[in-house]
Amino acid sequence: MTKIQRDVIAYLVIVTFCIVMLVWAIPAYTPAYPGYGASAALVPNVAVGVMLFMACLALITTGIAKYRKKPMAASETTFPDDANESGFTQVGRINLSHLFGIMLPSLLFIIAIEYVSYLISAFVYLMILQFVIGSRRWLQSVVVAVSLTAVLYVVMRYGFGVPVPGPQLF
Amino acid sequence: MEMIIAGLLDSVSPASLMFVLLGVTIGVMIGAIPGINGPMAIALFIPVTYYMSPLTAIGFLVGLNKGAFFGGAVSAVLLRTPGTPEAAATSWDGYALTQQGKGEKALRMALYSSVAGDFISTMVLILIAAPLAAVALFMGPPEIFALISLALTVIAGIGTNSISRGLIAAGFGILIGLIGTEPVTALPRLTFDVYQLESGLSLIPVAIGLLAFSEILIQLEKFTKKGGAEHSANVFSTRREDRFLSIKEFLSNTKTLLRGSLIGIGVGAMPGLGAPVASFMSYDQAMKRSKHKEEFGKGRLEGIGASESANSAVVGASLIPLFVLGIPGNLAVAMLMGAFMIHGMQPGPLLFKENAQLMYGIYGSLVLASLFLLLIGRFGLRLFCKAVDIPAMILYPIVIFTCVMGAYLGQSSIFDVGVMLTFGFIGYFMRKFDFSYVALLIGFILAPEWERALQQVVIISQYDTYMFFQRPVAMILMALTLFVVARTFWNNIKAGRKRRATAAAAAAAGQHKSD
Repeated sequence: MTKIQRDVIAYLVIVTFCIVMLVWAIPAYTPAYPGYGASAALVPNVAVGVMLFMACLALITTGIAKYRKKPMAASETTFPDDANESGFTQVGRINLSHLFGIMLPSLLFIIAIEYVSYLISAFVYLMILQFVIGSRRWLQSVVVAVSLTAVLYVVMRYGFGVPVPGPQLF
Repeated sequence: MEMIIAGLLDSVSPASLMFVLLGVTIGVMIGAIPGINGPMAIALFIPVTYYMSPLTAIGFLVGLNKGAFFGGAVSAVLLRTPGTPEAAATSWDGYALTQQGKGEKALRMALYSSVAGDFISTMVLILIAAPLAAVALFMGPPEIFALISLALTVIAGIGTNSISRGLIAAGFGILIGLIGTEPVTALPRLTFDVYQLESGLSLIPVAIGLLAFSEILIQLEKFTKKGGAEHSANVFSTRREDRFLSIKEFLSNTKTLLRGSLIGIGVGAMPGLGAPVASFMSYDQAMKRSKHKEEFGKGRLEGIGASESANSAVVGASLIPLFVLGIPGNLAVAMLMGAFMIHGMQPGPLLFKENAQLMYGIYGSLVLASLFLLLIGRFGLRLFCKAVDIPAMILYPIVIFTCVMGAYLGQSSIFDVGVMLTFGFIGYFMRKFDFSYVALLIGFILAPEWERALQQVVIISQYDTYMFFQRPVAMILMALTLFVVARTFWNNIKAGRKRRATAAAAAAAGQHKSD
């Protein structure tokens, strides 16, 4: 997939999102006009309208360029080579396995914390995170997981007096 | 006068002093770690400030931001991996000096230049913010509406390669900023019957997700691809002249430092440009005006001074639009604006009227932060250099876990952790697709104020759309907004044409060669 193809998909997703917002979400989840001032739907409609207009414009411009078969710059048709990536540009390929490797344990953590307590779920979460990142030094992983879990527990409970999430073990 | 003295006395209270010092120290350490920058640090530490007084909280965050700006130079000089984008220009001469064994000298130059730029811009802020705010008080809802529109357009246009992407991001930011209770009807809007959304999305989880979590997701991708952290090039000579900076050497760069500071102040006071622009502009100017152009990039102290004085001068100057107009010009200031709002204050000209003592206290903390930066940098330089050697295997889990628990700390809500993860996910894709998360975040912060101004305009004018034409300042600002949109579009089209022409020329050359 080229960068242009991927951008087209992104704009199509935005267009779909905007249409869903304009047709369903904004009318359904916005209070009715009270009879004075501006309608509660005005600014959301303007914001989504701008998004929709810009996404359509980008799609049309890309389409025209494609139709006229204008030569594309290398940066538009290919992904930047990661090895030669300069500055802080982060445009590049999406590594879904890597993304879900971090996101999934994080989601499981916030579900588990309500049932198995903060201390256990935080320890397991940190161990999994370190494994996903590539750490294979078990002793170091255990030390990091235990100390970080304990420090945050002490900071929350005794430092800020914040209720520690989930059931309390002690 | 009483207010000024009371405010300054507040800033030298033990708690305030301690937290400004702590902020600067943590800021330098965090800034020194490649990949962690000032706004990210502020986002991570805002939840902690919930439990502080407003002055202590703002002093701590300002200290953090100032420290992070200098901290970015540490990894730039020692590793040629700028800890923050604005330190990129510092790395060109700084790393060259490190390779010559003069890393410590380069860091000292960076420190003194940072402090000089920061101090000058803080003084400018103190001198002009209050008088400008007094003028800004005459602005009514039409002017505020037009001004926010202009600020959002500028940020959307300048912050990205494409204004359409910038405006899409700003539009999305405004949309999510409107989730919650609608101000006129006091009924829930866009909450999808989720009761946790009725009070709106909290800034903390959104900011942590967009700034910190998504950044770490991207960095981890590169890290796992490389298979490990890069080795540190921490080189220090034992020779005195290679370690210390003489007064003569420092003073010979006075012109460069002053010019850099002025560039930083100018850039910082304008929304959307940010410290990297100031840093590169100043470096470019220093090189053009130098008698030793050929030595730039090969270890010239002047290059470090130009870059560091300019990027540090942005810190104080970027507070001018915030204090005067209530508009955040960059990410760090947007985060500070969030901190103000968390503590029940709305940044803008009224701050000087309603919280004068606090404002002078903040001024005191700003000056103290500069002083602490000088002291901490001077005596803890070698210690901070160790921060660049923290193994990534240990650092990344700590940052991820801090993101998760930081989002929870704000309102003790697991729902907020979910929000943080969602925005981490969105931020990851925004970065990958080159959409401006800065425009999103600033749109999110400014959306309620923008809508409030619009509501006031509609009510005051009684639906008379010509009201804008009766207000010259509002009209000028709206015209400027249209000009910025048109100009940025035109620039984008020109840049596209140029890229395609180059591609066509390259293709033709290739064809000619093969024939």
